[in-house]
Amino acid sequence: MEHPGRKTFVSAIVFLGALVILVPFYMILVNSFKGIRESALFGMGLPSSWNFDNYKEVFDKGNILRGFKNSFLISGLVVVCVTLFASMAAFVIQRRDDRFMRSTYLLFILGLIVPVSIVPTIRLMGELHIRGTYFSLIMYYTAVLLPFAVFLLVGFMKQIPRELDEAALLEGCGYFRLYWRIILPLLVTVLITVTIVVMVSVWNDFFGPFYLMTDSTKWTIVLQIFNFVSLYNTNWGIVFAFMVIVIAPILLVYLLLQRYIIDGLTAGSVKG
Amino acid sequence: MERRKYPLYFSFPALSVFLLFFIAPTLIGVYYSFTDWNVNADSISFIGFDNYKALFGEPRLGKALSNTLIFAAAVTLLQNAVGLGLALLMNEAIRMRNLFRTIFFMPYVIAPIVIGYVFRAIYHPEHGIVNEALGWIGLGSLGQDWLNDPKWALFSIIATDIWRVAGFAMVVYLAGLQFIPKDLTESASIDGASYWRRFRHIVFPLLAASFTVNVLLSVIGSMKVFEMVMVLTDGGPGYTTEVFYTYIRSTFSMGQMGYSTAINLVLFVLVTVVGVPVLMALKKREVEM
Repeated sequence: MEHPGRKTFVSAIVFLGALVILVPFYMILVNSFKGIRESALFGMGLPSSWNFDNYKEVFDKGNILRGFKNSFLISGLVVVCVTLFASMAAFVIQRRDDRFMRSTYLLFILGLIVPVSIVPTIRLMGELHIRGTYFSLIMYYTAVLLPFAVFLLVGFMKQIPRELDEAALLEGCGYFRLYWRIILPLLVTVLITVTIVVMVSVWNDFFGPFYLMTDSTKWTIVLQIFNFVSLYNTNWGIVFAFMVIVIAPILLVYLLLQRYIIDGLTAGSVKG
Repeated sequence: MERRKYPLYFSFPALSVFLLFFIAPTLIGVYYSFTDWNVNADSISFIGFDNYKALFGEPRLGKALSNTLIFAAAVTLLQNAVGLGLALLMNEAIRMRNLFRTIFFMPYVIAPIVIGYVFRAIYHPEHGIVNEALGWIGLGSLGQDWLNDPKWALFSIIATDIWRVAGFAMVVYLAGLQFIPKDLTESASIDGASYWRRFRHIVFPLLAASFTVNVLLSVIGSMKVFEMVMVLTDGGPGYTTEVFYTYIRSTFSMGQMGYSTAINLVLFVLVTVVGVPVLMALKKREVEM
């Protein structure tokens, strides 16, 4: 009863859709090897002569490694802070379940929706004498991403039976050991999800470093792109080369871990 | 075991970071929005509602408000329509489904600012792919200066964001579709139910959870749009694509700190008003779990 042409038709639409996603990536790649005039035409054809100078120029002037290092450092430390703080909090929020913990939970949930007040945040960082430091940016991201992590972890804590706690506590296990040795290992799958979401959000974020990082030596790679494009916006070939260098490692990681990354980023929402 | 004995201080690291770096700036912001705080002035003084009076007297706020709402509504609607459509297509036994899933999700892991720059090239009036492609299929006359024409600029930004996020919605729907038993739709099909009726009465109700999640995330996320707009049009031409965060940024770079804090607060109220029903839905979902 299935129409014979139907499957072909469905495949054709999906294929066309995939093309719409892939063509821009191809355009960046092929034009990154073209000279200044040819790349400005954004043509789909291969370069008339392969030009690797763009890449050399980017490596010489773009401070690529510094940008990657900063992005990696910052997102890594935010992962540590968020997973640790959120799991500790979720543990007692769900287990105590008293009035104070319920209001705390509600406050975090509120943080899921409301936007940050960025200008007062800059001021606060100044008052605390940490403005422009790695620490300030890490704390900013931790505060912004904690609500989501707490929400996810509290939901998951419900599935860990209390009997487990009771048995451990009867054996004379302290609360810290209970958290560290029993609860935390059981949360590993959710913590991987949290890690992926935090990594992707921090790595790709522009808003935070744009407002909070004034010192160019501490810029993340995303801020580096912004600055680079403002300087070289007349030479698309170089801009595209910069983009390839920035996108390539992310896509590589994505393609290697795509199952975990896709599941992680969406499970963060579905399992909630 | 008594619940009370779980040590409260376990929540302190998270709570203190959140209070200090998220809640405190929000509250401080309420105060500063009633001041004339400006980087060019030495002192800050309380000026009552002057910022708000000036703000609500400016048509620019109206543009930011309506554009933010149009953007949020359009992205929510289209992301879900495109995502659901793709998921339904992919759910048909299609070959290399995993490859296609990987491709469609790919833009979601790229920084929005990079996507913005790429689409600046794609929308280029003379050499951009969009106009070129229209030319190839003989519709060259439909070509536009996508980002500089007030009629098309916001639409072009919306389309870019759909390109970025449709794959995310698709994956969520695809996951939901996996839970629908095949024999359910098959038996309905044998009973003569059309595709549309099967979708309407069997598939869609069972996708309710995925639908809620997708809508919630789009609504909340899209109201906070910033770098995509900044890179593509920076709110222009004129103020035709101004959204809250580009408005905040431009008053911020002029040094009008108190004023930009007031704009931020209006956004806060807007997101809260739209977000409260969202919050309710989240809480309700939790009860069902």
